[in-house]
Order: sequence, then C-alpha cells, then structure tokens
Amino acid sequence: MDERALAQPIETIPAPSRFRNPIGKYKIRRSPACNGCGRCIECCPSGVHQRIGKKLARPQDYRCRGFACKQNPFYCIDQCPRKALKLALNPLAEAMGDYRWTADLIISTWQQAETGELPAGDIEYEVGDAGGGFDQMRFIFHAAGAKIPPEKISTSIELNKRDDGRPSVRIEVPFYGGGMSFGSVSLPTIVARAKAAKIWNTFTCTGEGGYPEVLVPYADHVITQVATGLFGVREHTIQRAKIVEFKYAQGAKPGLGGHLLGDKVTPAVAQMRESIVGNALFSPFPFHSVYSVEDHKKHVDWIKHINPRALVSVKVSTPTDVDMVAVGSYYAGAHIIHLDGSYGGTGAAPDIAKKNIAMPIEYAIPKVHKFLINEGIRDNITLIASGGIRTAYDIAKAIALGADGAVTGTAELVALECLRCGNCESGRGCARGIATTDMKLSNLIEVEWGTQRIVNLFTSWRTQLVEILSRLGMRSIKELVGRTDCLKHLDYTNDVVMKAAL
Amino acid sequence: MKDYLSPSAIQHILLSRSKLAQAYKPPTAYKAEEEGGCGVTGFACSIPVSGRHIFTPSIQMHNRGNGKGGGIAAVGLSPEGLRVSPSLLEEAYLIQIAYIDAHIRKAVETECISPFLEVAKAEKIPTIDDYKMIAGLESKPPDVWRYFARVKEKVLQQFIEEHHLEELPTPRAEDEFIHQNSFKLNLKFYASLGEKKAFVLSHGRNMMILKIVGYAEQVVRYYQLDDFQAHIWIAHQRYPTKGRVWHPGGAHPFCGMHEALVHNGDFANYYSVSEYLKQRNIYPLFLTDTEVSILLFDLLHRVYGYPLEYVIEALAPTTEMDFDLLPSAKQEIYRAIQASHIHGSPDGPWFFIIARNDSYEKKLQLIGITDTAMLRPQVFALQEGKVQIGLICSEKQAIDATLHSLSSEDTRFCPIADKYWNARGGSYTDGGAFLFTLKHNGDKGNQMCLTCTDKFGRTISTLQGKTHWDKSITLTAPASASSIMTMVDEGLYQKYSTLLSRTLSDHLSTWDYHTILWCCASLVEKAHAGNNHKAKIIELLTLLIDHRYDTGTKKRSSILQIVHEHLYKVFHSTPPCGTEGIDLYRFIDYHTSTTLAPPQNSGQILIIHAKDFPPEGDHSDARLMVDAYQMGWKQFIAFDYRGQRFCGCGLGPDTKGVRIDVYGSSGDYLGSAIDGMELYVHGTAQDQLGQIMKSGKMVVYGDVGQTLMYGAKGGEVYIMGNAAGRPLINAVGCPRVVINGTCLDYLAESFMAGDPLQGGGFVVLNGIEFDEKGTLREQPIPYPGSNLFSLASGGAIYVRDPYQKLMAEQLNGGEFVSLTPDDWNLILPYLKENERLFDISIERDLLTTRGKLKEPQEIYRKVRTVKLDVLTEVEGE
Repeated sequence: MDERALAQPIETIPAPSRFRNPIGKYKIRRSPACNGCGRCIECCPSGVHQRIGKKLARPQDYRCRGFACKQNPFYCIDQCPRKALKLALNPLAEAMGDYRWTADLIISTWQQAETGELPAGDIEYEVGDAGGGFDQMRFIFHAAGAKIPPEKISTSIELNKRDDGRPSVRIEVPFYGGGMSFGSVSLPTIVARAKAAKIWNTFTCTGEGGYPEVLVPYADHVITQVATGLFGVREHTIQRAKIVEFKYAQGAKPGLGGHLLGDKVTPAVAQMRESIVGNALFSPFPFHSVYSVEDHKKHVDWIKHINPRALVSVKVSTPTDVDMVAVGSYYAGAHIIHLDGSYGGTGAAPDIAKKNIAMPIEYAIPKVHKFLINEGIRDNITLIASGGIRTAYDIAKAIALGADGAVTGTAELVALECLRCGNCESGRGCARGIATTDMKLSNLIEVEWGTQRIVNLFTSWRTQLVEILSRLGMRSIKELVGRTDCLKHLDYTNDVVMKAAL
Repeated sequence: MKDYLSPSAIQHILLSRSKLAQAYKPPTAYKAEEEGGCGVTGFACSIPVSGRHIFTPSIQMHNRGNGKGGGIAAVGLSPEGLRVSPSLLEEAYLIQIAYIDAHIRKAVETECISPFLEVAKAEKIPTIDDYKMIAGLESKPPDVWRYFARVKEKVLQQFIEEHHLEELPTPRAEDEFIHQNSFKLNLKFYASLGEKKAFVLSHGRNMMILKIVGYAEQVVRYYQLDDFQAHIWIAHQRYPTKGRVWHPGGAHPFCGMHEALVHNGDFANYYSVSEYLKQRNIYPLFLTDTEVSILLFDLLHRVYGYPLEYVIEALAPTTEMDFDLLPSAKQEIYRAIQASHIHGSPDGPWFFIIARNDSYEKKLQLIGITDTAMLRPQVFALQEGKVQIGLICSEKQAIDATLHSLSSEDTRFCPIADKYWNARGGSYTDGGAFLFTLKHNGDKGNQMCLTCTDKFGRTISTLQGKTHWDKSITLTAPASASSIMTMVDEGLYQKYSTLLSRTLSDHLSTWDYHTILWCCASLVEKAHAGNNHKAKIIELLTLLIDHRYDTGTKKRSSILQIVHEHLYKVFHSTPPCGTEGIDLYRFIDYHTSTTLAPPQNSGQILIIHAKDFPPEGDHSDARLMVDAYQMGWKQFIAFDYRGQRFCGCGLGPDTKGVRIDVYGSSGDYLGSAIDGMELYVHGTAQDQLGQIMKSGKMVVYGDVGQTLMYGAKGGEVYIMGNAAGRPLINAVGCPRVVINGTCLDYLAESFMAGDPLQGGGFVVLNGIEFDEKGTLREQPIPYPGSNLFSLASGGAIYVRDPYQKLMAEQLNGGEFVSLTPDDWNLILPYLKENERLFDISIERDLLTTRGKLKEPQEIYRKVRTVKLDVLTEVEGE
C-alpha cells in the first residue's frame, strides 16, 4: 500500500446508542403548552423532535445542537408558536466526567462513534480541561485555511523503518489500539476492537492475558503482547503475529506489573492464563530474565528467532532516562519504541500507584525524538506514544511533538459507551459490559455494533487529521512529525487573542 | 593488610584530597554513560599465559556487548615481555597513559610527570601498523605510553609533611601520591576540558589496563598482546547506549590503586554512592558505575584498611536469614559495617570481577563478587592439576572457551574444569564472593601456587590425589586389551547399553588413562563398522558423560575430555546430509548448512555440529533446526556447542515425537517455549532454560543457571544438579519438576500452578549431590535461601528434609505440612523416572538416611500455599 489517500473509503454505518435515553449535553423540555403542531419537527435538522402516532415523542435531546443553534433560523425554541420548549444543559452531563475526560469529550466521542462524523453543535471535541498537557497546546493554523484537497492527503505510516529484511508493515491511520487483556475487558470488546482494526487496516493488541481463540481470524491485525507475567505466551501466539510487543512497563503505574483483581479472574480468564480462579494475578515489575540491556537484547533475539518475520515493539513507561531506554531498545533490535505516559488508564492499580509518577508524555516524546535524532537513528525506528490519547487532536499533537504515531485505549472504550464511572475494578465490573468478564454483563455488547462504533470513531478522527494536515499545508502525516513549530503552548504565549478565545 | 592504619592517618589521607577537586565543579551526580549491559570474564593461572587466550571467551560474548567499548587488564606481568628487570617490575609503578590527542603528550609529561616522578623507563606501547587491519574496529585506539616510575624522594617528603602523613608507612604515602597525581592528570586532561585529550589507564604495580572503543579482543590484537604473558587476565565487553562519540575512558576496566575492576550491571543508586564518596573527598571523573565501584573498593581496602571480607560485606551486605545464621561476633562487626557504609553499597544488579596485585602481601588475586539479589549471572570454575587455573565469567560457555583455547596450546590444561559453581550473594554460606589467590612458591620458578577461597576464607579445592590425563604420553594397547574387547563385544549385543555402561564405569575407577583411551578408540572403530553398533556406542559414551562414578586417581574432567573427543569423532564420521542410503545418521555443520535436505525416513537422526554457527540470528544452528524440522526431521543430535542460544526454540506447537540431544557448552534460552518434544542436555546448562515451556520433557545431566522455567505452563523436567536463582518463578498450569540439588534462592516465587493433587504443578527438591566417588550425599541444607515459594498462590514444593532443617522464616506466604499418601503417590512416578535417568535410587538414596530406610512422610515435607490477603482481598475497599 503506498502513501496516497485511502484506497477505498470505509463505510460509515450509523451505530446508535444501545440505551433508550442516551445522555446528551443538552436537555429539551416540552411543556404541556405544546399543541402538537409539529413545527419543531419541520425545523430541527438533527431529528430531535419526532412524532409517535398523534403525539409528540419525548425529545431525542442527545442530538440537540445546543445554545449555538440560537442563531439559526430553525432554532426550535424560538420557532415554537406556543413557546413550549426550553433548552438547558443536561444536569447529568454536568455530573459526568473529570478534567481529562470532560463530559463534552465523552459525549462527543459517543456522537462520533454513532455517526462517523464530527459532532454537530456546541460541544467540545478537541481538548479536555486538565489545565496542562495536551489541553494547553493548540495548533497554529494560518488564516488561509484548508489548502490541499483531502483526497490527496495520506495518513498512513510505515512501522518497520529498519532495513533488516523483515516485512514492511504499513497502517492506514497513524494509530493503533493498545493492549487490553481478556480479563480486564470482555470478549465482545476485544473482538470488536479487532474487527475495527481489520477494517481500518491497523492493529489492536492482546494485552497481557493471552491470545483468545476468537481473535485468530484477525491475526494479521492483532499484536501479541509479551508481558512480565508471560501469561498466555506461547510460540504459536508469537508466530501468528505481525508485531510482538514487549510490555516492560505501563505509564499508569510505573514500577509495578500488571494487576488483575481476584474477582475478575473468572474460570474463563483463569483457563486462558492457566492460573487459579478467584486469585488476583500480579505480573512482576521486571521480566525476571531481563535485568540489564544485554539481557533485553537476548530477549528480543529470542522473539525474533521464534518469528523471523515479526516486528518487535518495546513498550516502556517514561522515567527520566527514557531516552537511554529508547536507544538501548534500538540497539537491542526493536522496530518500535512505544512510550506509555502517565495519563493512561488501567484496569486495576493499587491506590498507591495511582498518582502519576512517570514523566508526562508531552515531555517524554520530544525528549526521545531529539535524542534519537542526535544519535543518528531517528529514521530507523518508529516512535509511538500512548497514555491519555483521547481525540484526533491529541494524536496530532503527539505527532507534532515528535512521535510517528499513537496508541489508543480508553477512547475506544468510550466509543463503546463507557462513561468513565471508574467502577471497572470492583465486583463483577462494568455495568456497560466493557470492563468485565462476567458472562451476562459481557453480552450487553453486541460485536457488530461495537465494531461499527469504533470504526465510526476512527472515521471521524481521520477526517479531523486530514483537516489538520490540510490546514497546515501538509500532504502526509509524516510531514507533521516533530513540527513543534506548529504548536503553541498556552502557558507560554502572550497571544492575547488566543487567550481571549478561551 | 598487616599494618592497619590509625584513624588519624585515615583522616589525614582523606583531608589531603580536599584541595584536589577545587578546580573541578562536579556536575550533578548523574551518570554520563548508561551501561548495564556487558559480558565479563577473567582467569588467574599458576603459570603465565598469553593474551590471546582472552580472545575466544571475548568473541563468544560479543552478543553481550555492542563494540562500543571493550577493555582488558593483566596482572602478574612477564618482565621479559616488558623488557624490564623483575625488580623494576615489582617496585615501580607502571603508569599507562592513553593519549587521545597524541600532541598533548609533551604537556602532560611536563606538567604531571617530570616534576614529580623518577621515570626509569618510558616507551610507547607497540601497536599494529594500521587499526583498519582489524576487522570491525571503527575508530583508532589512542596511543598509550607506559612509564615505570617512582615518586621523587623530595617530592614525597614534601607531600608527607604538607599533609601530616608521617604515621603512614612510606610506601603507602607513595601510593596515595600516585593516586592523587593521576586524579589531577585526569581532571586536567580529560574531565574538565571540552575535548578529551588524555587519561591515566592504570598506575598500579605489575599490572596494566588497556581499553578502546571496540571489542575487548581487539585491544589484544591492536596493542600486540597476543603473545604477551601474564598470570591474570580480565576482559569486558561493554554495551553502552548513549553518545554517538564514544570515548575509551568510559570503558572498563577501571583502576583503583593496584587493582582493575570490570562490572556487569547497573546501579540504581549511583547518586547516593557518589554523594557518599564526595563526603570523603573522592570525586568520580568518568561518571560511570564501574568507576565508583573501584573508588569504593579503594577507599574501603586501602584507606580504611578493611580486610577483604569486610570490603565485600560493605558492598554486598548480609541480610535476612543469612544474617541470623552468622556467629554473633560476625553479626556485631557486620552490623557496624552496614550502619557505616550502607549508603555506599551499590543497589541494583551488579557483578564485579577484580584483578589485583597485593604487593604488600606479595600475592596476586582475582576476585568475583555478586550482589545480594543475584540479579546477574555468574559462574566460577577451578582446575587443579599440573597447572592451576581459576576462572570467573558471565556465562559458563566463556569459561569453557578459555579452557579450550589454553588446552589446544598447552596440554597441561584440560578443556573442562574440575569444578563449576555459582556464588550466593550476601549469604552466610559463601558470602557471594570467591577469590583466586596466587602466591610464589619458592621452588617452582615462575610457577605460582593458586588457592581458591570464599569471602570467609574457607578453601574451595578439588579432591587431592587425582591427576589429569597427560596428552603427551603415547597411546599403547593395555595388557587386558582382549578381555576388554570381549566384554565390550558381549555388551554391544545386549538390548540395553545400561549394563555395559555400568560395567565400564565400574572399571573406570581402576583403569589408567591408557586403557580408557584405548577402549574409547576401539569403540570409535566399531562405530565406523555400521549403524547397529553406532547407535549403541553413542548411547554408551553418552552414559559415561552423564553419569557420576568413582574415577579413582583420575580426574573426572579428563575422563570427560577423552569421552567427548571420541564421541565427537563418532559424530564426525557420519555421511553428510543429502547422501542417499538408509543409514540412520546424517551430518551437517555451519559450512554445509545450505545442503539441508529432508530425511529419507522419519527415523533418521540429524547430527548438527554446532561449533561454528553464530550464537543467534537467521544463520544460527537453532534456526537450522527449525528449518530441518519443517522438512520432516524429528531426531537431532547437536554437539560441540560454544554458547549458541535458543536451541530447540521456534519449532512451534505440538512437537511431540521430536527428540534433541545436546552436547557441549550450550547457551541461554535452551528449550524455551517447547511444546511436546524431549530435550536431553548432556552436561550443565546455562540461563533461561525452558522459559514459558508448555509441555514435553527436559532432562539436564548437570546444573542449570538463572530463571529456569520462568513463566512455564507445564512440562516434565529433571535436573540432576543445582539450579541457580529464581527457578520456576511465575510458573502456572502444571509443570512437574525434580531438582536433585538445591537452588540459590527465590524458588517458585509467585507460583500459580493450581492444586498438584488435581492436575496442577509441583517441584520436588531433593537437596542432594554426587561426591567425587559418584556416591550421593545430602547437601548441608536442602534450601539455603530466605525466599522459598514466596507469594505463591498455587502449586507445591516437595522438599527432602529428613532433619527438618528448613524453617518457617524461609517461607513467605506458604506453610509446611506433612506428606500424605496422596502426595507420595503423586510424586512417586516422577521419582521413579528420576531414578531411571540419573541412577538416584528412591530406596537407597532418597528414603534412606543415616543408614536407615524411612517412610516417605519422615523424609519429605510439603510446602503448600496459604491464602494471602493481598491476593484475594478486593482493592480499595
């Protein structure tokens, strides 16, 4: 596959919410003053108002565009002859979310997952409200606007930049799905992610719980993870993969290994990992066979021996010497160095580890990028960043800071209607069937629907990435790598206009 | 050290350095070079040996380095080789200075040498003409000048007066002066300049260090040391990962006073150690772990005057149960040492090899010290015969490579050591350190006398009264030739070779080398005669390698040498792969690897000569085996291993019916991830064996190294000897393992292997060993460590502990319970197989103690899991 735009367009099929009254940002109330004239139905382009028989149905207000619609001639609040409609912020939305994943980001992700398009209306879909990190960075777009036609823009990246005889692996979009193990998430979630990765010609990853049989049809799009507990790792799970990922650490709990609470070790999970039902599973913090860099090289050689065609990715967290780790991995033979920053999620972590200890990803990426350039090896290794990548803009910012691409995690789960309640860890787990292996709860997700939700989200993201590139005058995502000159950090700018816009 | 320094003398020494660093603004103590990776090797020999013998082990450990830094050190040098008199060599400081910029030499000599030192001889070390002649050497090594020097009397007097060092014996004051002088030189011409111009490589007496940006053996070649002789050699392959411009200054070895240190590992507390040193006016200049290691050693030994035992304790403190088992007098001293020096104790994986000249005690030493957590691999070896040699390496295969190299030149060496072992870090058993000491033995000319001791001074030696095979003696047929032949002929027609092998091994105690040689040679001839006999003879000779028996006045290592040689001859005389015909065997090696063809029938056996294959990669023997398997081969013999890795890996799932027999010095990761095959290792194995093994059978006729079966899911494994650190850690499913020896520590940590009585996994630990006569005896304790079965949530350990020596303190989340009949029925079939494989009799060797046969529950104890809160309680609630 060469570097032009998408070979064939991906089909966008609407995938509405599973729930009867999905949460939206806005609430429309219809008072008894309504006479059923149906004017609102004629007005609203978003299908908020509908009739059921003679009566008007409850407003589908999660589709509402919000206050920004006021300037439109079809603003239903003004158009209603009986002034029966009232628009307000949905109090549920106000209770949702946090600084990183604001209610706006959650809801707008749901909307993109439903429609494959940018959310219409007054809702923030680019940044969160963390007060730091990517949320304080903006792209600098020059006034001229979009220059290059979208169909001429390529978002694909090559993952094997070493000239070592191993196959080329090109993905259609500059991101792939991160490891979430069977045990931390449900089987339908895993399959949906894999199917979406196949449709988009990118990857998903098994996480450290082994390789479920249901993923075998998608093997060309599934990265096998080898983590420190070595759960479920066998030669044939390595041999069927195009990419093998060594998980040395994860940003959300640097210094600790993976952790699956006892309640989530169901019989199925225990069987896959060959452990004991109900007993928590701790992966050790290091690989016990790797205590220094030449051990790491030996480890990489071992995997390369088992599968002479696979690429090797090394996933690490971000200590202060992350640049050394990166260059050490390069010399040990890795193709991809994957930095997992501290904003990332995790299925479980002890309280003590939940404070972010590692270096924030927005520092780690440029540090490693520049170091590898100085070492003369930047062009021979692929740098991937993860940990709190929520939106297309986060992906673009990570690339502008110096990464080749990004890995997503939570965002895909939000696409499946995760509402970030944070109850993943306890008891039977997730009430939405995502972060659970309970049989009944898992069935809440229907695989085809889940697949389409993720596909749609990726579609919307790609559209945004193309728009960003177009406005920056770039023909390919590769041109954005390391272009920090396209970024502005709000803490360090005197741009009055920019600040006023906030 | 005989003359302990008084506290005030020590103070004055440290104070005398206070002005040294005034010109120097020490940066924040970060490490300039990240290291971690490397291979280290060293040996000490009673006779001087040539530099070329540090070659093969260095080359075979290339995959532990990346060519960005290598170095060697030699101690106990040959005066003839240096063209100086023995007395000058003994008395003068041998200062070696590397001139990265050749033009700076005048300035260095004018400023740092001529004003202070009386130079008896100065010369440039000869090198080959053009560095490019050495394949792979990318940058020109620096010119090195060596100076035989003493401090000028007046200068020394002034130094002593100025710093109130009158209490010191003059030679010690002279040492200190040289040390400080070198520091000043390094500071001025290396550390503080933008461009690095020159630095002192070493300044000790009768020793030298050389290092370059390249591989260690390239040092030997470039500086023409191939034929240069010394008693002690150490080498280091570095794997630094930072900086496009590499400087030789950062490579190892580093110099203390009269010692050189190489290091494998990576400190976590470099900052803390640097602070500790700075409090004593000691400033690292090269900003690496290794440099501070030797600075620590120098401080503790030369300045504080600690005996080596205390130095080792300060670096690798004794803790946990090991501390409790020390005698109380030792506990008191060790506690004091730990309290004073804990901040200077390196934390993190490390393994040091130190070569030193203790000129005050008139001895040369080679020391290996491992960290308390035993996170780096280390192997020690000893050979005592007409010559004695002690070896220390990161991998056993490098020891064997050194011995091969030496024995091919001098038949007094045997290619197999008499004894191999690992150190147990911070232990009360050996203290995690072993020392090989060479002393002159008045009457033996330039041959010295080698002794091996542990940290506590206990001697390690091989059994007296045994001699090596003297290759120089010609072979003649023994008197009993015909009767031997009759016995052999009869034996070969039996169904099983075991009877014949037992008969032969019984005779081995009384036969002399002639007879053994003759017998082996005859067997080789018979093997040529036809397939029938060939298979039997291979089996026979293999049994002689595997089993332990009384060897009389002969060294077992020599017998092994003879048997291996002849067995390899049998392997070599095999038709090459692709030859037509129905013979059982086909041969292939690295040079003929392209001739690989499918077998004629599924029973054919492929004999792979492993020696010349690269240790890993697409052209390795391991890869060849995978290709051969895919062509239909199922039976393999792979011999003459020189450390190649990944044997048996990559064949994929469901390999039941495959069998691999391994001979020689096999490498790391052998048998990892196997699923169904049978793997027999006829000798000792290295590290990471059977990692994530799924099923199948593995038998090791010797010891194994680190992390055996890490993350294993199943498999049936039998180890004749000991395992090193962390065997079966994080294993799940149903592995069933018998370890006849013991382990260093961390056996079955985080074991998750279900309930053994319901199909889960277990380890049987017998704690026994073969003595020199081939008889089994109990080891001092079945398990010496403090971390048995830690944090395990499944599986069990069945430990042979008839005297209940093991204590609950050694467990961490497990409990001792009695053996039930169900338990015994579970492990019995495995013990029976163990008996069949290793001749370790259940009745005679396992269940009998102090001459009495006992019930199993009186002999074996079970360690099973205890429900740990941390594993089952829900977090955060």
